[in-house]
Amino acid sequence: MSASLQKGISVLKEVIDAPIASYFSSCVHCGLCAEACLFYTETGDPKYTPIHKLEPLRRVYQQEYTLLGRLAKMLGLSKPVTDEELEEWKPLVYDSCTLCGRCSMVCPVGNDLVYMVRRLREGMAISGHAPDGLIDASKRAVEIGSPMGVRLPALKVQMGHVQKEIGIEIPLDVAGAEYMVLMSSMEIINFPEYLGAVAKIMKQAGKSWTLCSEAFEATNSGIQIGVSDIAGVLVQRIVDGAEKLKVKTVISPECGHAYTALRWEGPNLIGRPYTFNVLHILEVLDGFRSQGLLKTSGFEDTLLTFHDPCQLVRRGGVLEQPRNLLNLVAKNFVETSDPGKMNWCCGGGGGVSAIEEAQELRFAAFKIKKSQLEETGAKTLVTACANCRIVLEEGLEHYQMDIPVVGLTEMIADHLTEGE
Amino acid sequence: MMDHETPGHETLGERLAQQGISRRTFLKFCTAMATLMALPPGTATAIAEVLIKAKRPSVIWLSFQECTGCTESLTRSHSPTLESLIFDMISLDYHHTLQAASGYGAEKSREDAMQKFFGKYLLVVDGSIPIKDNGIYSTIAGRTNLDLLQEAAKGAAAIIAVGSCAAFGGIPNAKPNPTGAVAVSDIIKDKPIINISGCPPIPVVITGVLAHYLTFGELPELDDLGRPKSFYGETIHDRCYRRPFYDQGKFAKSFDDEGARNGWCLFELGCKGPTTHNACATTKWNGGTSFPIESGHGCLGCSEPHFWDAGSFYSALSMPASPLKLATGAVVAGAAAGIAVSIANRVKKGAAKSAHQKATIADLEK
Repeated sequence: MSASLQKGISVLKEVIDAPIASYFSSCVHCGLCAEACLFYTETGDPKYTPIHKLEPLRRVYQQEYTLLGRLAKMLGLSKPVTDEELEEWKPLVYDSCTLCGRCSMVCPVGNDLVYMVRRLREGMAISGHAPDGLIDASKRAVEIGSPMGVRLPALKVQMGHVQKEIGIEIPLDVAGAEYMVLMSSMEIINFPEYLGAVAKIMKQAGKSWTLCSEAFEATNSGIQIGVSDIAGVLVQRIVDGAEKLKVKTVISPECGHAYTALRWEGPNLIGRPYTFNVLHILEVLDGFRSQGLLKTSGFEDTLLTFHDPCQLVRRGGVLEQPRNLLNLVAKNFVETSDPGKMNWCCGGGGGVSAIEEAQELRFAAFKIKKSQLEETGAKTLVTACANCRIVLEEGLEHYQMDIPVVGLTEMIADHLTEGE
Repeated sequence: MMDHETPGHETLGERLAQQGISRRTFLKFCTAMATLMALPPGTATAIAEVLIKAKRPSVIWLSFQECTGCTESLTRSHSPTLESLIFDMISLDYHHTLQAASGYGAEKSREDAMQKFFGKYLLVVDGSIPIKDNGIYSTIAGRTNLDLLQEAAKGAAAIIAVGSCAAFGGIPNAKPNPTGAVAVSDIIKDKPIINISGCPPIPVVITGVLAHYLTFGELPELDDLGRPKSFYGETIHDRCYRRPFYDQGKFAKSFDDEGARNGWCLFELGCKGPTTHNACATTKWNGGTSFPIESGHGCLGCSEPHFWDAGSFYSALSMPASPLKLATGAVVAGAAAGIAVSIANRVKKGAAKSAHQKATIADLEK
């Protein structure tokens, strides 16, 4: 057994906890999770059945923590997990799982399959079986500070562009501000208009806010590759930044897994509660709306629909807020089929968009989104996650569909009542 | 429907009229028969219609190695009862205990009947047949039982083995079985045989089977031991009025303890009810008065094969090894195993945890 495999197995032994033990022992092998997974429905290949993706973890559980499994292992009746097997499982654990959590919703015995995939990735990554794309992203995140290699100067350049365009100063490192705004590197590079939108909205609402030079990146490659130690390091940066500036609330940007990492996994990753609140930008905006701090005028006339980011809506619970906000500025908002918590993933979450080998599979899986969009006949697609946005854009381009994808925060900012 | 035309016999109806038995009494009999055999209610009239017209079939009754208890059971049933009608339903042409004739005259009546009604008579057998040493241990008029049975069986329409001896070998067959006693079915293989087991069998069961045979012209449905299912389909235990006590775990420990006086289950005192198929608990004995368990004694299991060799009548079928203690033991053992496994798992998980080296990006590549 190679040293890395030994470490990986040891990690798997460590991550198998009471929930995982009860999930494996209560699985009734019904296969319902297959129909919930877009990689299965769009390819028809049974290897993409979510519970099957967990086979190595199940075997370690059985061989290490069950009486019969231990006996079988002792007698040589059950084969140990090998490097070859983990390598074979790499496309199942990474390429074809966006951690979207749809399977967890349909499991009749309530098994949280995503929870398990996330834990299996811990062992996969440590034993050296993570995809190169995610390894590189994680390295950049730790070493440079952003998975896409964005450094502070690059952010400052974008801040300058935005300031010039909208004529509002972008605050940096303002201690005591109410809100600390985070960005995803996708937004810094591809969608800087998000920053301008936030600036306009904050100005209208009269709220103090700031960016932090030591913690502007919200995304968390550690969560995607599945290494809690790395995820913890990345969360700690944000915590340090927020506590240094003594802000009341940290705003997670339009990014799904950043929200999961910061809001739901963060305190466990660093081992203590935060001294500040974490909200998604849509929660903040809907809060402003209900307090009357969000004044808009005019409506979008085109037929538009909303893509629910999995981590935000299904896994995160931010379900009503995007609808409230959309209805504030759109007259022709239609839901896709399976909206809200049963939405279909864009196909690129959970790190999949960073895995080059997975691109073809990702386009195959996108067929479900394509048909959903065609059903609605929508002319514009709104979403609230920069990763979803880029994946949707790529998918639409691949299938030659001419539908613009818009971030919800920018759409709201476009309808702000000017000058008060 | 079988042709019961047996020349020389008047119909059952005529016979009953001669005996002064009213149609009403007869219908009551038919209804009782239909009910006993679990036939649909309408069948009673059908039975009556058929029976009243039926020519009484000739019956040859052979008694071999037996104690005459079966005949006693039949004849001593309370009069006037349904059972007394048996002799009006059939023409009993030979029964060496009951017939008036004796010696050569008796044997002649048997031979005459066998000849006259060849292929149509019913052969009733009680008692087992000794076959050791060429069957010399029981003879009638100088002929062995074996010889007599084989001869009589040839012309029989069907054979009714009455009592556990004829059905399964019974007490003569008990160890060490010095005479080599066997059941009718061990010897005769080419005739329909119906076993009415019991030591003795319930009179009404004999009557019921005869009525069924006369009405439908065939034997009733039988279980795997050749017994009519309508009477032997369930165990004594299934139908026992003390069953609720068994279910509650209330057992008499001796024949004179509080449990016995309270009428609790006799299982621990050796009752064989759970493994015995018979109708005692429903039809009862002595004109419906009671049955053994009702009198405070466990069932002996007399209608089952080898009942005499199945251990003491007073030892329980299986002694419940104090189920509650066992359950507590099992819970304790289970909990101990659970705790042991849990500790082992915790140790293993703990070891994995303490072996944890903080993962860095350097760990991502092999």
